Amino acid sequence: MLENAIKDLLYKIADDQLILGHRNSEWTGFGPMLEEDIAFSSMAQDKLGHSLAFYTLLHQMGEGDPDTVAFMRNADQFHNSQLVELPIGEYDFSLIRHFLYDNAEILRFESLSQSTNEEIAKIATKLKGEVRYHVLHANTLVKQLGSATQESISRLQQSLEYALPFALGIFEPSKHEQELIDAGIYSGEAALQNQWLERISAVLEKTHLKLPEIANLQPVYGGRYGQHTEHLQPLLDEMAEVFKIDPTAEW
Amino acid sequence: MSLPLGLEVGTLLLKWHLQNTKIIKPSDSRLATQNSGPTSMSIESLDPRVTRLQIEPEPNPLPKPALDQLITFEVFHQKKEGLPFTYVGPVHAADEEIAFLFAKEQYSRRAMCSGMWIASTEHVFVSGYADDSTSVYDTMPSVYVTPEGPEQSYEIFHLKKRGKAHQHVCTVTARSSEHALEVARQTLNPAPPVVSVWIIPSIHVLRQEEDRDMWATTPEKKYREAIAYRVQDKIDRFKAEQKA
Repeated sequence: MLENAIKDLLYKIADDQLILGHRNSEWTGFGPMLEEDIAFSSMAQDKLGHSLAFYTLLHQMGEGDPDTVAFMRNADQFHNSQLVELPIGEYDFSLIRHFLYDNAEILRFESLSQSTNEEIAKIATKLKGEVRYHVLHANTLVKQLGSATQESISRLQQSLEYALPFALGIFEPSKHEQELIDAGIYSGEAALQNQWLERISAVLEKTHLKLPEIANLQPVYGGRYGQHTEHLQPLLDEMAEVFKIDPTAEW
Repeated sequence: MSLPLGLEVGTLLLKWHLQNTKIIKPSDSRLATQNSGPTSMSIESLDPRVTRLQIEPEPNPLPKPALDQLITFEVFHQKKEGLPFTYVGPVHAADEEIAFLFAKEQYSRRAMCSGMWIASTEHVFVSGYADDSTSVYDTMPSVYVTPEGPEQSYEIFHLKKRGKAHQHVCTVTARSSEHALEVARQTLNPAPPVVSVWIIPSIHVLRQEEDRDMWATTPEKKYREAIAYRVQDKIDRFKAEQKA
């Protein structure tokens, strides 16, 4: 049942993007400076666009239409990692989450752009340029703020330590892991996680931030199969508030 | 999904809300009665997100020193490969790398773009201005006394009409910005109008044009513009229904 395996993969990608896109849009109007407010909001919008691309592909594979899938499910039907549903907190946390998530995302897109599934490869190839900018944005700011002042360094370090176990949850193994790897759909979570560690280490080495020992951390799994924190349902309620007034309305 | 539009509109609304944010003081009886008497002093905004934060207003905010912001950078974009780089506007940033990050989203999130140049404002040499029908080169004093620096290359930008943007016209080798202006006049001998000239040493221009992937989807960002949402038919239909 390769089709089910692919759907499982697409759902987790799309749900991550939708939820993080919505979370990061909460910064609109509150960004640390005007230019960063615009950049952060614009990237949030990119994420929503990416989720739409993958929900559309799922729709073509027989799943519900994108609006219904995005707005009408409850928390336990979402496949996003718990990392992306956490509240935006202060800017240091949102920046670190953006750094950890997008460095993983670009590797996923690079892998998917080589997929044996042509439809997936096409979308990943088209969108990876945007993710490339997201990574450049995150890495540049982490490099700058990770070696700027005592306050910026200690804030980022604290956020890094808090976020890291959740970030490892991005790579929660799927039930269909081996099937997807064997079919050449993508390289699999374990491979992505290893590459990701190399990438984020290389950036952090240029700063005063220290990457905690990964082996000592307990990854936060569960999100991929519907286990979420108490933060997801309120987010969904707010996101779908207008849509649910009249789901049949034409926009 | 209607989300993208919502977000852009949301930004505008939020900016408007913030401008219309009131500080509610218990002592202000007029406001207090209108707002059923808040118990403590906090900022009340039309944006519930702001009100929820229960921010206490600063009693006497210290006056900010002038020019305490980050420095500014000037941004030039290229709409399509092969077209000249054209001025789009400034950004505030700590350094040129961050200036590029901001410029990219500030100036290319909605329009086609295939590359950007960034230069710190302090490195832009600005000529005088001429009228729309004349050339600033013709109004230049004929002899420039310039400090003799080492030879280097300079980027030359022309403004052809007031209200338009400076556009890249050529690169020259010279010993100073003033010298570059003279060299540009001799080599280009441009026909009027040239309303104003900007000159930037090439080494101070950060160029972001090689990563083709990064600009690949900019032609598809139309959904970010209000004009992409064709709603007039629906509005007309709705109005007709209301009348009937």
